[in-house]
Amino acid sequence: MSGGLPCSAALVAAASGLSASPTGSTVIGMAVPGVPYNTLVVACGVAAVGCAAGVVGSLALLRKRPLVGDAAAHATLAGVAGAFLLTGRRDLVSLLTGALVAALVGLGALVLVRRVTRTRDDAATAIVIGGGFGLGIALVSGITARGIPGGGGLEHFLLGHAAALTADDARLLMAVSAAAIALVVFALKEFTLVAFDASFAAATGWPVVLLDQALVTLVAVMVVVGLPAAGAVLVTALIVIPPVAARQWTDRVGTLVALAGGWGAAAALAGVVVTSARPGLPTGPVIVLAAACFCLLSVVASPRRGWLGRTLRAAAERRAWAAGLLLDTCLRASERGDGTFTVADVTDGRTARAAWRTLEHEGLVERLHERTADGRVPRVAWRLSGRGLDRARQRRRRAADWAAAFDRAPAAARERFSLDLPECAIATDAGATRAT
Amino acid sequence: MADTAGGMHLWAIATASVVAAACALVGTLLVVRRQSLLGDAIGHAVLPGIALAVLAGARPGGVAVFGAAVACALVTVGLVQALRAAAGLAEDAGAGVVFTSLFAAGVVIVTLGASRIDLDASCVLYGILEMVPFDTVPVGGVEVPRGFVSSAAVLATLVAVAVPTWKLQVFSAFDPDGARAAGVPVAAVTTGLLAATAVATVAGFEVVGAVLVVALLVVPAAAAELLVHRLHRVALLAVAFAVGGAIVGYLLAYRWNTSAGGVIAVVLVAEYVVAALLAPEDGCVAQVAGRIRFAWRVAREDRLAAVWRAMEQRGTPASPRSALEHLAGWWLRVRGRIVGAASLSAAGRREAEMVVRSHRLWEAWLGRHADLPLDHLHPPAEWVEHHLGEAARRRIEAELEHGRGDPHGREIPPEA
Repeated sequence: MSGGLPCSAALVAAASGLSASPTGSTVIGMAVPGVPYNTLVVACGVAAVGCAAGVVGSLALLRKRPLVGDAAAHATLAGVAGAFLLTGRRDLVSLLTGALVAALVGLGALVLVRRVTRTRDDAATAIVIGGGFGLGIALVSGITARGIPGGGGLEHFLLGHAAALTADDARLLMAVSAAAIALVVFALKEFTLVAFDASFAAATGWPVVLLDQALVTLVAVMVVVGLPAAGAVLVTALIVIPPVAARQWTDRVGTLVALAGGWGAAAALAGVVVTSARPGLPTGPVIVLAAACFCLLSVVASPRRGWLGRTLRAAAERRAWAAGLLLDTCLRASERGDGTFTVADVTDGRTARAAWRTLEHEGLVERLHERTADGRVPRVAWRLSGRGLDRARQRRRRAADWAAAFDRAPAAARERFSLDLPECAIATDAGATRAT
Repeated sequence: MADTAGGMHLWAIATASVVAAACALVGTLLVVRRQSLLGDAIGHAVLPGIALAVLAGARPGGVAVFGAAVACALVTVGLVQALRAAAGLAEDAGAGVVFTSLFAAGVVIVTLGASRIDLDASCVLYGILEMVPFDTVPVGGVEVPRGFVSSAAVLATLVAVAVPTWKLQVFSAFDPDGARAAGVPVAAVTTGLLAATAVATVAGFEVVGAVLVVALLVVPAAAAELLVHRLHRVALLAVAFAVGGAIVGYLLAYRWNTSAGGVIAVVLVAEYVVAALLAPEDGCVAQVAGRIRFAWRVAREDRLAAVWRAMEQRGTPASPRSALEHLAGWWLRVRGRIVGAASLSAAGRREAEMVVRSHRLWEAWLGRHADLPLDHLHPPAEWVEHHLGEAARRRIEAELEHGRGDPHGREIPPEA
């Protein structure tokens, strides 16, 4: 929340500042010399859309409906083509209005199929995609084949073409995005509540259905304003990928929303920059690839949830566990004789030898002197150092305490955790390691 | 044949039909597994595989392209599972990330390599059915379109694999745990379906483009599923729907001068809508008609029972409670069941007695078993009286003591 509010305020300010064209032009034109004013405004508009899509998408992800906009996104194509045929104009407002109508019709069709037929959700989505996108493709290629003036640009709505946007279009996108972000920030608490515990929300009197419908409508709106940049086929990615990437870095909703917005904006900007350098390339795929790179980076390298961090942590925990067990073995071995033992006495197998190196490294065992057994093989005697002895005894005390507590526990609890130290603890630990 | 305009269209229609049949066959299994969107994901995700294979010199529609597509499909599923394992990501979110990214990569590859390969972003989205007849190979002295040859090979392969493994597929689809316990290699069966989906997808790719493949896969099966219940019949009907949709869609697209892929998808969805409306058992029309029939029967029976009760108590019948009951009263007069102000013909009396008998039997049964106060017996009986048949009435009567009336002390009419 703390990140969202200023972010949205800045966007609103930017949108209003840019619409007051002379001052906006000077300010931004001076900020980045050498870049045409129009390109700059378009870049800001697309970035705003990316940001808002990430923000709205985070809520959809938390609500466990990340693909809710996919069917609607495909259906928008029919709306764009239909609006062009009806109005005969190609200004963004009428095309996007048509797209919004088609998106809502698509969502309505989804609900209708679910309500009145036996068809399941997944097939219903496929049917809406097939109908909406098929109609869109048929209309667009029919318009293109007939050479209707202005109809050529409709193909840009398939994969996105940010370069076709004018400064006015970009201001429209910015205004809608700012409104969407403001709405999310305004109702973030309610959306979060519904996402995490819908039945509690309903029981405490929050309008869960209304909030869900608001969320779906917001997604539909973001799908529609994402069309010019990302295209009908890939605009879903704008809503799914940045939140997934952001989710890897945080467990707080406010941070998640802000991060997803930031990454959405960054990916959208990358798309605009790359495609302005290579004009033949559609914008949508580039934006998606940029977002996918962030996502891959996050999944691999984010410190807490990332694959790399978790793998390293799990390995460290396994090593520490094995070292502890070896310490126990050493204590038992030293109690059997004169307090000394050989490496071969206490280690068997690769894991134990690795654990031995840990003990040695931490100074828990110390080497005494060389002695020869039956005169031939030189054997090196070791004993636990003072610290090692302390730690081993502490471990033993703790195990005994556990066993005592276990004996006092009710029978039902004992059955659930058949704690037979230490072998069973090893099994438990292996299970726990796998589970993490 | 391929050198005349009509022959061209026939080849294109034949190719579209064969491809649609192959997709519908695979799609049936996806639909009953509730994995339709896997078809969507694979349809998008095979694009980079196809693009790279073509860029590396493979012929579109050649074996290498199919191999690359299957590899891509397996990579997609593997990535989704890896995302779930590594990032704890739900399957739908993971699929949303993976297939859009792979599709984007495919579009970028196709666009950047467009100068070197005859594959561009528009044929990815529209399909290239119209171009299929121009690229021919001689087969037994006849020039046959290459696209037709490869799709026919795909269909033949899929049928050849599907027929002997159908039972395994059905078992794994409906009861994976049971199948595993019975020794069916469920993972292999699933992977096989995945590969089949990828192969069908590549074939469908030429006809309708990457995005609309999902329509070819899913929509015919979803429509067929509304009409028949045995899975092999669903599959056969889905194939029929798909072929019909392909033919009609192509002809309409030709007539309207637009993309065949788009129109085929729309025709398939139209077939689904017709099936959903007109399915004999649970189509919308049948459901509404059933409800209307039932409401009409209830109104008639209520009216008859009201007149019968009035005759029993020598009073005037209760006035109708709804417009429908008014209408039912008028209709019963027209049919001669109700005669005069408030009396019944012999047939009307018999029908009314069965309704009242059901009502009072149910009241008696409730009074005996449900321990309800007297004034709570009427409303449930008012509902149940329309649902009890002769057998149920006899069983209730046998359980109650004979010769006794209902809890209100009124006589229960005998069975007719």
